Amino acid sequence: MKSLSPLLLPCLLAVSAPALLAQEPVKITLKTLTAQMRFDLADLTVSPGAKVQLTFENPDDMPHNVVFCTPGTNVEELVLKMLEKPEEAMKNNFLPNDPKVWLKSRLLNPHEKQVIEFTAPEKAGSYPYVCTFPGHAASMKGTLRVLSEAPKLQDLQFALYHGDWKNLPDFSKLTPHRSGAVADNLVQLNFDDYKNQYGLVFTGKLNFPNDGEYTFYCASDDGCRILVDGERVLNADGIHPADLREGKKKIKKGLRDVRIEYFQAAGGAELYVGWRPENFDITALSKWQPNGWKLGVQQKKNEFVGLPLEPKDSPVIYRNFIAGAGNRGIAVGFPGGLNFAWSAESMNLALAWRGAFMDAARHWKNRGGGHQNPAGFDVVRPTDLVPPFAVLDSPETAWPTLAPEATPEGYAWKGYQLDKDGVPTFRYVWNGVEVEDRISAKGDFKTGGSLERKISIKGKLPAKAFLLLARNAKITPGPDGFLVQAEKLSLTGTNYENQFSMQTDGATVSGGNLVVPARNEIVVRYAWPALHPAHSLPQASQ
Amino acid sequence: MKAHTLLLSVLAGGLASASAQEAAEAEFYKITTFPTPPDAAIEVGSVDLLPDGRVALGTRRGEVWLASNAQTSTTVGVWNPTTMRFEADKAASPKDTIQYQRFAEGQHELLGLSWKDGWLYAVNRYEVLRMKDSTGAGKANLFETVSTPWGVSGDYHEYSFGSRFDKNGDLWVVSCLTGSFSSKTAFRGWAVRVQPDGKMVPTCGGLRSPGGIGFDADGEVYYTDNQGPWHGSCTLQHLVPGSFQGHPGGNQWYDLAPNMGPRPVEPNDQSRMVTERARIKELVPPAVYMVYGPGKIGNSSTAVVCDLSEGKFGPFQKQLFIPDQSHSNVSRVYLETVNGVKQGVVFPFLKGLRSGPIGARMGKDGKFFVGGSDRGWGAKGGQPFAFERVDWTGKVPFEVHEMHAKPDGFELTFTEPVDPATAADPASYSARAFTYIYQAKYGSPEVDDVFPKIEKIDVAKDGKSVRLKFDVLTKGHIHELHFEGIRSKSARPILHPVAYYTLNEIPAK
Repeated sequence: MKSLSPLLLPCLLAVSAPALLAQEPVKITLKTLTAQMRFDLADLTVSPGAKVQLTFENPDDMPHNVVFCTPGTNVEELVLKMLEKPEEAMKNNFLPNDPKVWLKSRLLNPHEKQVIEFTAPEKAGSYPYVCTFPGHAASMKGTLRVLSEAPKLQDLQFALYHGDWKNLPDFSKLTPHRSGAVADNLVQLNFDDYKNQYGLVFTGKLNFPNDGEYTFYCASDDGCRILVDGERVLNADGIHPADLREGKKKIKKGLRDVRIEYFQAAGGAELYVGWRPENFDITALSKWQPNGWKLGVQQKKNEFVGLPLEPKDSPVIYRNFIAGAGNRGIAVGFPGGLNFAWSAESMNLALAWRGAFMDAARHWKNRGGGHQNPAGFDVVRPTDLVPPFAVLDSPETAWPTLAPEATPEGYAWKGYQLDKDGVPTFRYVWNGVEVEDRISAKGDFKTGGSLERKISIKGKLPAKAFLLLARNAKITPGPDGFLVQAEKLSLTGTNYENQFSMQTDGATVSGGNLVVPARNEIVVRYAWPALHPAHSLPQASQ
Repeated sequence: MKAHTLLLSVLAGGLASASAQEAAEAEFYKITTFPTPPDAAIEVGSVDLLPDGRVALGTRRGEVWLASNAQTSTTVGVWNPTTMRFEADKAASPKDTIQYQRFAEGQHELLGLSWKDGWLYAVNRYEVLRMKDSTGAGKANLFETVSTPWGVSGDYHEYSFGSRFDKNGDLWVVSCLTGSFSSKTAFRGWAVRVQPDGKMVPTCGGLRSPGGIGFDADGEVYYTDNQGPWHGSCTLQHLVPGSFQGHPGGNQWYDLAPNMGPRPVEPNDQSRMVTERARIKELVPPAVYMVYGPGKIGNSSTAVVCDLSEGKFGPFQKQLFIPDQSHSNVSRVYLETVNGVKQGVVFPFLKGLRSGPIGARMGKDGKFFVGGSDRGWGAKGGQPFAFERVDWTGKVPFEVHEMHAKPDGFELTFTEPVDPATAADPASYSARAFTYIYQAKYGSPEVDDVFPKIEKIDVAKDGKSVRLKFDVLTKGHIHELHFEGIRSKSARPILHPVAYYTLNEIPAK
């Protein structure tokens, strides 16, 4: 391997935790994310009855709270019910008085924090938490999991072998250098002073609490594998740094034989083994744990936060792989927290959102691959990645679709130019017709705000040419244009409501599509509903 | 994790000698590490020169910086880990310090820049574009797409490197495969030319993971490729139009390139380049293997820079200078044509760059600019990015100047006359020849070792050349020659006493 994994650093907290801090409360920090309408953690785990010290920080520019509810609570309904009595809700700083709530913070003003001490419920389960400030519950929520530690290894024995391997050998054919019992029943490496070229086999018993699916974890430098009753549940063979891996297997209840095989070639040497039965917390079976082991493998991959791009005085352009905008995405963020992404594949507006713009860490902290979601909230995708213009027999004709990552037939991408304010005008040619597409922002996301789009055409348009403005949506005409409720949007696993309003002259609804006959200039206004009026109230007094 | 230990032992064993080597090199070639702009990570991926002398830098973060005073500035940048930039080592006047202007931003990884007729042409992940400041505000406002001839899928590996304009006015692009093995979108793993009207001409198939592209003194085009499948080592390869460069992963795109003729025969796995050349008529062997491994030449070869300074960069006129991103060094290449095929020799040249060099450019004034980033792979230089200048100090190092293949051995020429006694002594030399397995698997060990005997040594009367007669030459092998024992007439040792000659062809005379 060319690079050292950050996971090689020992997790100091975890090493010293059990003995020294038995009486200390478990410390958890939960933060709001600026202009993202999210908590930084959507998943917290504590043991039943644990003493917890929760530090709740609000670095955002809006007020937020955090309210913990009983298992099964529909948190969005909870907020709607509270708002049925708006005056009372406001008097209570939008903190619901509801039997489903068992713990709540204050309503924190921007840049405030609060430390809350509490005792976790005795009953294992999933306890939802949410910001109950109006309009926040859709995306600002998470789950507190109350989970017990799983059983640990019993009767653990080790056998130490010598050899120079690139992969795990067949230990059954080798004679151990020495063997013995492991007093603390924890998997560990330091039985001797050997730094290189050795192998270890651990055997012990583990109590599987029920019939079900079990997740095993390891992080090993170099290779390891885990077997239960002789069957492999996880394999991380070969020479590599200690990256966190997982393996799942259905196993029947009972006391079973567990075997862990490991070898060290040279250089760094680490071994972490953990497991999680259903309805239990991830539990370490080894002395050493890598950073982030408590989150498991899945969450670890989502830890991409770190290089926010913030439009300050003028628009910021970010051409990159943007989830929902294809491989030739061009994201544009405006200082007022209104943003969009244009696709130089479909030649069309791909996404619009409000709040924070983009986080460049995925692309700028590594080799540059992968698609990044918008950093903000209320992400909408009016038309999916389809060409903007088409010649149709009638507005009812189905709109042409596009193979993924394809540029539509008859379209040629020509680039863009910036005006004196830094606003880009995108240019492309459609069957000889020159098209300019300019999208600018008006207002501020906190007071609503809108994107103003002007499509200008030079050249002779073919007959029956249409521009598509919304697709596969429930479209309701209203006094200020159309209310569009498009299909729910999911980008790399995050779901968005995909609702917005749209105003343009001459548009018609046909099926689920909103189309407008093409003409030399088409102006479209995209807007989101204003944030709840409480956002513009004087900040809550405590 | 074995590689880690290897690296450590090399570092431990090699530290003292490496810095001694750097000190020795500094007598002849001086590296000036520039301060970098505040609040920016200038991860240089491409470099070009503007007619007014400013240096244009395209970065992996998609910015273009224009640097003034880069030819003359002596203010040195010192890395400040708190501000995460190179800061000026002294309070210097703006005239003495490099000055930066952010000309453009928001582009998608700029690994090619070329100035022409008032436009700055650039290559991003998926297109050739050109930019211009038409308002005089100092920042580009026009971003025009010139050509979008190859695909992109979101995979990190799909980098695209652009050349400057060639003698026909075409711009070349070499694009990396999707990952190491295959090509998921059009012309990934190809070299294409973009003509002035934007038309794309597929030009060479068989590329794997280019790291840079450039020209020799005759305008012939070369690119560097990286160790991986079908590449036992990093290489410098000659882009002959119509040729196949060795990796079959992108061969399906021959279907979209009728000008290239039929799809070449697939190479046999576990073979040798010299064997497959006989089977695949389009296959052009690497001109020079940038021999892979610690203490050797390359781990990650990048830019191709030709010295056209007519002596302002020292005695190596018309030779090629190839930086390496992981070794943070520069190697020197001398090429010749034998039986119509390019081949030649690589020598170590200069160590001690501060990050992982990617983009580089030399002006006619002999100022050699190089910049880079270590992101994703790590670089010996240790810093995440750097922009540097290499100047010849005016002193001529004692080096092998050129190495020529002969029917029965090699001829070495020198930058100054040799001491005839040491140059004629067989104990001054040791020779070995080897090759790589040409295979679908990643990389290759050095194999098929041959240890030629030097049967005869003739030192020219003027002491400027030495003719070595070998008992055996092996076609297709890299001939590794050490000559630690040679001294100059003034008793100087050779600064870099090792050469790796890729013997694709053995000359008849």
